[in-house]
Formats: sequence, C-alpha cells, structure tokens
Amino acid sequence: MVFSEVPSSNTIRVQKIKEFLEKEDLEISEDIETFVIAKEDDAIVACGGLSGKVLKNIAIDESIRGEGVALSLMSELLKIAYSLGRDELFLFTKPMYEDVFESCGFKYIEQANQQVILMENRYNIDAYKKRLRKLRQSGDVIGSIVMNANPFTLGHRHLVEQACLRSHWVHLFVVKEDASFFSFEDRYRLICEGLADLKNLTIHEGSDYIISKATFPTYFIKDKRCIDSLYTELDLNIFRNHLAPELGVTHRFVGEEPLCVVTNEYNMQMKKILAKPSAFPPIEVIELPRIEYNHEPISASRVRKLMKEGRLEEISHLVPSSTYRLIETMLSTTSH
Amino acid sequence: MSKTTKTKLRRSMLFVPGSNTGMVCNAFIYKPDTVMFDLEDSVALSEKDSARLMVFHALQHFTYQDIETAVRVNPLDTPFGILDLEAVIRGGVDIVRLPKTDTVQDVLDMEREIERIEKEIGTTKKTMLLAAIESALGVVNAVEIARSSSRMMGIALGAEDFVRDLHTQRTKEGGELMAARNQILLAARAAKIGAFDSIFSDIKDKEGFMHEVAYVKSLGFDGKSLINPNQIPWLHKEFAPSTKNISWAIEVIEAAKDAELRGLGVVSLDGKMVDAPIIARAEWIMDLARASGVLGEQL
Amino acid sequence: MSKILEPAHAGTLESSDVFVRVVPSEQNGIEIELESSVSEIYGEAIELLIKETAEAMNIRNIRILVQDKGALDYVIKARVQTAILRAQGTVSPDWSVLS
Repeated sequence: MVFSEVPSSNTIRVQKIKEFLEKEDLEISEDIETFVIAKEDDAIVACGGLSGKVLKNIAIDESIRGEGVALSLMSELLKIAYSLGRDELFLFTKPMYEDVFESCGFKYIEQANQQVILMENRYNIDAYKKRLRKLRQSGDVIGSIVMNANPFTLGHRHLVEQACLRSHWVHLFVVKEDASFFSFEDRYRLICEGLADLKNLTIHEGSDYIISKATFPTYFIKDKRCIDSLYTELDLNIFRNHLAPELGVTHRFVGEEPLCVVTNEYNMQMKKILAKPSAFPPIEVIELPRIEYNHEPISASRVRKLMKEGRLEEISHLVPSSTYRLIETMLSTTSH
Repeated sequence: MSKTTKTKLRRSMLFVPGSNTGMVCNAFIYKPDTVMFDLEDSVALSEKDSARLMVFHALQHFTYQDIETAVRVNPLDTPFGILDLEAVIRGGVDIVRLPKTDTVQDVLDMEREIERIEKEIGTTKKTMLLAAIESALGVVNAVEIARSSSRMMGIALGAEDFVRDLHTQRTKEGGELMAARNQILLAARAAKIGAFDSIFSDIKDKEGFMHEVAYVKSLGFDGKSLINPNQIPWLHKEFAPSTKNISWAIEVIEAAKDAELRGLGVVSLDGKMVDAPIIARAEWIMDLARASGVLGEQL
Repeated sequence: MSKILEPAHAGTLESSDVFVRVVPSEQNGIEIELESSVSEIYGEAIELLIKETAEAMNIRNIRILVQDKGALDYVIKARVQTAILRAQGTVSPDWSVLS
C-alpha cells in the first residue's frame, strides 16, 4: 500500500477521491486543503482530509479495514497537521470507528444522530468548560444567544435587548471563526460597543465548541444551500450537553426567519434538539420577531449588499453608530 | 563460524523497507537467507532520515546478529547516499547493495567511501558489495562491474527500473528480461560471484512466482530478491535439491574423503574424474539440502 | 549543551512503532509525556530510555510527547533521535552519540 498527499488543487485526483468517498457513503468536504490517500493496485483504498485543524472525510475500504490501515493513514495526516504547526486537532468520523481513533490519541466529545462523532486530540473542552463555570450567574431565566454579527446591526441589538429584558442574565457568544466578511476582531468590538449599556449581559468570545469549523463546518461554506442537519445537531448537542450546563442556561434566543427557509428550518431543528429528553435539562428556544426598516427586516446580509452598492445613507438606518463608522471608513478606503 | 562469507547460500534476499517499523522489527522471524533493508525506492523522501536511523539501530540489535544483513543505500549522487553509508557501515552491515550500478566507476566510488568509513571507525570487518544492475548500460557493463572489486559478492538484476529503461514493461513470460538475465549470469559466473534475480511484484500470484523461480533457477541464478515474506518458503521449496542430486553429492563427498584418506591425488567416481569444482558443487548442494530442511543436521 | 529551536516529530501510530513529538521548552529539564499501550508495566523504563537518549545528544530543555504502540527499545531510540535531529535541523549527525 502506498500513501500519498494530494492537495485539493489537484482536481483530477480529487475527483477520484470524491468517487471513492461516495462509494463509502460520504460526501466530500469542500473546505479540505489536503488529502492523504492510500492506493493499492492503482485504486484508492483509504483516504482522509485536513481542513484547518479538523481531520475529516476519513474512509477505509471494507476489504482492507482493520486498525493497521487506520493507524498508518492517521500517522500521515498527523504528520501533515503537525508540520503546519496545528497541534490541537479535531476529527469527524462515524461512531463505529471511535475505538480506532481513540487508539490514535483522540477523545470523544459529542455525536449527532448516531451518524457522526466529533473527537479531539488534546481534550481542551474540559478547560473551556471550567472557564465557563466561573462565569456562571444566578437567576431563574438564564438566556443565551449565539451570533456571528457580520456586521452588528440594529436587528442584533434588538434581539439582545429583548433577551436581556426577559432574562435575569444573558450569555452572548460571538462566533470566533474568521471566515466572514468582517473579521472576528471587528465583529466582537462592534458588539461590545453596541451593547455597552446592557448590564445583565456577558459577552463571550466564541470557541472551537460553538459554531466553529470544528463543530459546524457547513455553516462556513459559502453558497451552501442547505445547512447540513447533521452538523446542526452536533453543534447543538455540544451546546446542550457541554456548554449550557456550565452556565445554567435555560433559554436560547433567536431571530425569527420569515423569509429564509433554510434558517427557519435551522430554528425549528434547534427547538426540537434543545428540548429533546437528555441527561441535561431542556433549553427553551424563544424566537423573537425581527425589526424592520422600510418594511424589510434588518439583517447583516442586507447591510453587506448595500455596502456593495455603496448606499451608505441607507446603511445608517440599519446599524448602530459604531458599526456605521467602521463601514464608512471601509468604503472610503476602498473607493480611493 | 561467521554468519556470512562470499559463497554463503543466498536463495532468498528479503527486501524490508526501512520506513516500515513492523517489518524491520520482525523480518528476521521469516528466516530469509539475507535480510535486505531498503533505504532507497521504498522510502519516501520525507522519511529518508528516519529510515536510516531505524536501520542503523536494527543492524546492531541482537535479532540481526545471526542472520546476514544487507542494506540498499541511496546512490552516492543523491544527498542521502553518503549519509546512508555512514550509518550502515557503523551499524555493522554485511553487504551494501549499490542501486543503479551503471559503470565500474560507480563501484569504485562506493568502495572508496566504504574503506574510508571502515578506517575511521577502526573495524576489521570487510563490508561486501552487491551491485544491482538496473539499466541497459549496467547490463552492457556487467562483466566489468562483476570483477571491479574484491568486495563484490554478487550482482543482481533490478528489473523494475531496467524494463523502464528498455521502454517496455514486465510480462509473465519474461522475454523482456532474457538478455539481461543471461548477461548478468554470465558476468557473475565469469567473475566467480553470485547472481541474483529481481523481485516478483504480484504477491498474490503464487503460480506466476513459482514459475519464475523455476525458470531462473534453471538458468543458474543463486537466488532472488523478495518483497513478501510469504514468498520465502515457496522459493526455498523450489530451490531444494532433488533426492537424486543429494545422493550424487553424498557419493562425491564420500569418494573425495576416501581418496584423501588413502592419499590418492585423483578422485574418480563411476569412472569419471572428480575435480575441485565438482566437489565444491557437491558441498554446495549439501548446504542447500540442509538449509532447505530436506536433510537432518547430522549430515 | 544543545538546544532545539523548532518543534518536530517522527514515527507513526502503527503497531510496533512510536510517534514522537519534541517541543522546545523554556523550563530547565527533559519533560516527557508518555501514552503507551504497555505503560503500566514498562512506563518507567521507557521514560528512562527516552531521557537517556535525549541526554546523550546533550539536549536539556525539551518536552517530548510520546505515543507508544508497543515499540522495541531501539525503535523508540531511533524515533526520539530522529525527532531531535529534525528539530535541530541536523542533516549529518554525530554518530557517536546515537549508538
């Protein structure tokens, strides 16, 4: 068996990997940078991919399945990841392979629908949970919100305001992954500035464990028409079973989605998963109506569209002043 | 007795990739006549350094003290060749296999470096050389290569690269290798050294393998390089001498001993003269018979 | 005394092998993190071997992370040495400290 590295730019070979994965009932991930493949008699018999700090699309042909091949394959993948300085790694696989990857030094974090599990090699989630525990607040209603805020709008502001009114305390998580038009740094700063007046609120920098490329890869794939329900579940299971209990979260607030079918479905699924019977108390999902400007809901995507069209005046009605100032600077520097 | 000499029995030379730890640790178990660690083609560029160190240590481990060891090093015109040599001579290897030997100069260059390292570490061991011939040029120069060094214990055909050089590929019939095999065998015999055939790469095709082994044995080859331990017993079985050969050899040796005891200068058997090469051949058959397990150790 | 400046790794997770990662350390000393299928019985002996191997190469400030899959002593030695040489960027080693 010969192992080799295939960069995702190598389209002819990637096509063959795609076919192999389909045979193994896996969909190729679009965000993989490098694949490792094992070939025997010129046919692919095993493969795995690296995307950021995540190992996925790992499959081994049934004919050669056994710990041996998995360990060789993982050795190759780890060598690549470590060479790129990525020490803390995640891994997606089918539940049946948990033991195999455990013997490669990975530990189970969470599963979704008995179809996919997420594992981690350093088990930092424990340290993260410990940090959250210290930020716990007392109260009967502890709200939570997760937002990307790309960028922060008056719509976001309204959602948080409403949540704070209805809760004793609100924990707001800002998606940390730098995969959006606005950088994490800017998004986080605008949220803090735009919500500085709210007293019963903790703003958390997100982490690998909440809407990240590790827990929710499909969220970051552009133009992905459907948000994969499997990863939605994985992300929500981590929230429900790991993060929420540390903070004593009782409610999660989301904006209503009258227009976008996909996000609406996501909200529906969230309601279902967070209320499902489990070892941890259920979390109630509260959908709040969006505020509108000119009979259209205010949203970050609308702001980005107006930015492209250079309609600065219109933007001023959709965003708080700090966000407006940043956009103004961005537009003036790009137009020169 | 030393575990190795120039004329030792070498039916099976098992290739062991230096980067395959499991194989490196376990190859001795299969009892090939020679374990041949590879640092060349089976080792990825990124693992040249790790394979070199692994083989350096394996050579010194007690599991490899009773078995003949060879190492296929990288050519000296690569950045790895000299480092490989430094490691394996220090590790105490018996035979250095030169890859891609095209000319006598290739042998002399290697010999010079081996001598230098042996001197540096102050060993009395004289590392042997096995030249792998893997190109048309090498085959054409085989006669000179075979007698270019007193360290040379044999020459071997490297068929995979050779057929590429010929602009063809290997076939079951093996016609493409006919000229090379004959030339290498003649060159080896003329220089009184060993001749070794190439690997048979389809490890699942036992029948094809057996066919090839029977063929090269009939040509006169001493043995063959192998890539899979499963092939070792198959090959040893084919190389085992026939009962007819053995009883002939026993009679020759007895007659020779008898003549010596009686102080006779000339040995004859069934009215034919038995000279030194015939006695040597008979002794070789007996070695082979013992190694093949078709005779008890008492013989 | 030698130093390693870069992290490096050697070996595989395959059976009979060992995966070794070395990381420069600010602290004085050789710090070993061993994960082994046989650590209950051989853990201490393996750690000692790793330590001696690094010391022979005159390395003092280092973290060595080891996932052992039942490797023989000489395999562990070879892998630790390879990782350290890679971390140092040493191409042509001093063989006398490696035996």
